[in-house]
Amino acid sequence: MGPHGTTTEVSVAYSPMSRRHFLTLAAGAGAGMTLAACGSSGPGQSGGGGGEASYWFLTAAPGEQIRTNAVNRFNKANSDTQIKHTAFENDAYKTKIRTAIGAGQAPTIIWGWGGGGLKSWVEAGAVDDLTDWFGQNAAVKDRLFPSSFGAATVNGKIYAMPCETVEPIVLFYDKRAFEKIKAEPPQSWGDIMDLVPKFNAKGIAPFSLAGQSRWTNMMWLEFLFDRIGGPEVFQAVFDGQKDAWSHPASLDALTKVQELVRANGFIKGFSSVVADANADQALLTTGRAAMMVHGTWTYGSMEQEGGDFVSGGNLGYMNFPPVDGGKGDPSDTVGNPAQYLSISSKATPEQKETAKKFFSTAVLSDEEQSEWLNTGGVPIVKGAETKIAGAKDPEFLKFIYDTASNAKVFAQSWDQALSPTAAATLLDNIAKLFQLSISPQQYIDNMNQAIGK
Amino acid sequence: MTGLAPPAAQVRAAPKPAGGRGGSLWWMALPALAIFAVFGIVPLVGVLVLSFTRWDGIGAIHPAGFESWRAVLTDPGLPHALWVTFLVMALSWAFQTPMSLLIGVFLAGRQRYRELLAVIYFIPLLLSSAALAITYKALLDPNFGLGAGFGIPFLAQDWLGRGNLALGVVVFVVSWQFIPFHALIYQGGVRQIPITLYEAAQIDGAGRLRQFFSITLPQLKYTVITSSTLMVVGSLTFFDLIFVLTEGGPGDATRVLALDMYKRGFQAYLMGPASAIAVILVLVGLALALLLRRLGGRDQSTSQMEGM
Amino acid sequence: MSTTLSTERGAGVETPPESGPFRAGGGWRRNWLGGAAGWLWLAIVVVPIYWIVITSLKSRTTYYAQNPFAPPTDPTLENYRSVVESDFARYFFNSVVVTLGSVLPAVLVSFMAAYAIVRGGAASRFLRGVNVLFLMGLAIPLQATIIPVYLIIIRLKMYDTLLAIILPSIAFAVPLSVLVLANFIRDVPKELFESMRMDGATEWGTLWHLAFPLTRPALVTVSIYNGLTIWNGFLLPLILTQSPDQRTLPLALWTFQGEYGVNVPAVLASVVLATLPIVVLYALGRRQLLSGLTVGFGR
Repeated sequence: MGPHGTTTEVSVAYSPMSRRHFLTLAAGAGAGMTLAACGSSGPGQSGGGGGEASYWFLTAAPGEQIRTNAVNRFNKANSDTQIKHTAFENDAYKTKIRTAIGAGQAPTIIWGWGGGGLKSWVEAGAVDDLTDWFGQNAAVKDRLFPSSFGAATVNGKIYAMPCETVEPIVLFYDKRAFEKIKAEPPQSWGDIMDLVPKFNAKGIAPFSLAGQSRWTNMMWLEFLFDRIGGPEVFQAVFDGQKDAWSHPASLDALTKVQELVRANGFIKGFSSVVADANADQALLTTGRAAMMVHGTWTYGSMEQEGGDFVSGGNLGYMNFPPVDGGKGDPSDTVGNPAQYLSISSKATPEQKETAKKFFSTAVLSDEEQSEWLNTGGVPIVKGAETKIAGAKDPEFLKFIYDTASNAKVFAQSWDQALSPTAAATLLDNIAKLFQLSISPQQYIDNMNQAIGK
Repeated sequence: MTGLAPPAAQVRAAPKPAGGRGGSLWWMALPALAIFAVFGIVPLVGVLVLSFTRWDGIGAIHPAGFESWRAVLTDPGLPHALWVTFLVMALSWAFQTPMSLLIGVFLAGRQRYRELLAVIYFIPLLLSSAALAITYKALLDPNFGLGAGFGIPFLAQDWLGRGNLALGVVVFVVSWQFIPFHALIYQGGVRQIPITLYEAAQIDGAGRLRQFFSITLPQLKYTVITSSTLMVVGSLTFFDLIFVLTEGGPGDATRVLALDMYKRGFQAYLMGPASAIAVILVLVGLALALLLRRLGGRDQSTSQMEGM
Repeated sequence: MSTTLSTERGAGVETPPESGPFRAGGGWRRNWLGGAAGWLWLAIVVVPIYWIVITSLKSRTTYYAQNPFAPPTDPTLENYRSVVESDFARYFFNSVVVTLGSVLPAVLVSFMAAYAIVRGGAASRFLRGVNVLFLMGLAIPLQATIIPVYLIIIRLKMYDTLLAIILPSIAFAVPLSVLVLANFIRDVPKELFESMRMDGATEWGTLWHLAFPLTRPALVTVSIYNGLTIWNGFLLPLILTQSPDQRTLPLALWTFQGEYGVNVPAVLASVVLATLPIVVLYALGRRQLLSGLTVGFGR
């Protein structure tokens, strides 16, 4: 052995182990790769070639099941032109659909919220103009609520088919809470401000609010702006008029909201309450808050998760009250006028035909309407009100129907109506406003800068 | 005879120009380089190019010169995001390193139950960001979370609604998840410190604290560097958890650089500025890596095992 | 003085009788600071986990009505049933394939590259350049490059496969792995390399017979780190796959996350089911893991 005899010790000690290790590693890597490649599903073009159309929508009950049923019914009735559907979670869907459209890989039928998002698709040339098709198929258009087409129209042309349900924002309240303080539900803004200290004295939060989710705060501003200044105020913003936010009604509304926050009108710590876990609804159903401004879609989850709150008749609902001296019509409402289906411009002609056939024969069929009614939503079909009597919760359904159809103006939620860029700035500023970290004037200045973006 | 062998070995052991070695080694770096080039470099170049354009992600891409860069560099949001990123990085390091060290040492004890503890500690690492966000948002809910459940008002604060609290929450959740990992590394590091060192120190009369600072810490130098490198570099691109937990809020209190980039690109659909921020992130990462190299393993002559 | 690389200590035995500060004079037996930290940490870790488990056993209709930390008044397995029915096994399998298929190659190629950089970097400009390139790659935010990566994957016709997740994952794991591994390899005394070379070993041989065993702690560390990152990775599977049967576990929670809210107990049930097998695996393999992290020089 030489002076470095120890090294041979090293070699001997290690070579069998390391060679084995290496082979295991290599085998593992190889196996991993093979298994992975086995998952291949063919060409990258979503929707596969030929006539099979694809349709992407959102996950989870109840929507996913109802949409899936509609597709299955269509596929059964049309064996030669099938639709393949895939569901994605809400936030993930927004990212996914954007990336897909950007890469020219969009599904044939694109589910969406209309408004500013749809507008950006139109500007990118990603979706087809359906105005002529609706002209030729007037029956399809006429059976739907006329107010639902607003958010589907860009520059005077229709780019999407309205579908599913109408979801206005309403004021929910807990009847038990009002009994405790022996008061009536508010009929005006003044009533609201009066009720606040009374509820607080009883240890009940006047309003539940999921501040962390921000769009929930936005609903308050939507109503206040409309009730005080009428729909023209936001319409000016939407139309891109310079300094549209500087309207006097705007300052009034923003100030009133901050007054409500300072008066402890909202549940303590509302900026930490999260909407997707339904934590805000739970506050109402467990009696910790007296009222809640929210979309009608929450009815279903309050029924499911609120124990006997709903079934026991404790839930009250009404349209948002007017503001004394305000110009807005008290019947106006805001929310989601419908959901929207667009056709990708990059799809093949056969796929587009399949999609159009789906629109005219399977969307909002009678069965689908009943399914929606049973979830506590009103489908946007004229005459749906006749089916209400036969569904679950007919009282609430009738309320939705009346609110939506009697509304002089049904405005789309701001974050859907505006372009995504402006919407992002809007939500940021709303959050700061509610946290009292910016003044109403600062909000106005910030938002004026974002107009037209 | 024997006298001859060592000098001969010495001669042979003199550093030989490593040209030959360099030549036979370069191919080893190829596979990593190839994959990284395709899925790392090419997209990075793409991003660099995008930073000189105006694009909303779906329409046509318009060349825009320095417009995006100007918008980004003059936006007060950028220094703020840099600051928040630095805060998150520094605070997580400051919290995680001592805790991981202590826990790693604790776990290295010989009692049986410590094994069970180690397994329990490991669980947070396995939870995805979505799971963590759902859990913590529920636990921090002022009405249905920790505070309400245990009746401790202190725990029922506006955790996610106040800026500095939210930042603390982010640091805490990240630490909650990753401390077991670093503790594991430290545990391994501590176990390989030779007992002889401690025995020698004992004989010299050194107390426990002294032993810790003079023996344990220096011997753990490379472990600390490895762990810190992973922590710091990891926190730079840390995105998933902060996004689902606070989405940068409240306001922009937790809007770290990676989140700022995502929100500009995928929520406001301003791909140009988002790409500019991405490039900035890469540069910051590069600077950090060089800094770590300076602090860490650059000094090749001091092996940890010297002089034993 | 003989230089032996001792592996007896790391031979899978948990007890460290000769190492560490534990036998030294008994001072550390009363390590109250470490002990306090350990027990405090236990409480901090256990509370959320406990919450997750008991909430998963509560029904969606009642969990808000009860105290969040009280055990369920009428525990139910309905959430677990929904999870199992929702093709959960498939998602789990996909995650395993993606993680193993990414971590093993990533660590392998990073190790080779780190070795080349450390051993040949002094002489080769190419290798030094590669090193700088990798350093630049440390902070590439995945979200920024996701769109170009997406386009590349489509061009390569790999969209909607698990391979589409694996390849970019490997690429993104390389820079940090190379950094950490290179640091460790630098610490191996030059004399040992010299001896190997003296004995006529090739670079490849030295890589496996010398560097590999000595760098084992770093290899294990890097493997675990990358494994965890990829196991919980969300953006790549979201963008690069589509069909439900290509989904990985992080996306599996979608089944219970809808536009009307999240079915919290069901989501937690799927979290529990996703975590349990790995915890068991960890419990069984912990000793091996720890021994892998402990390779010492005994002189």
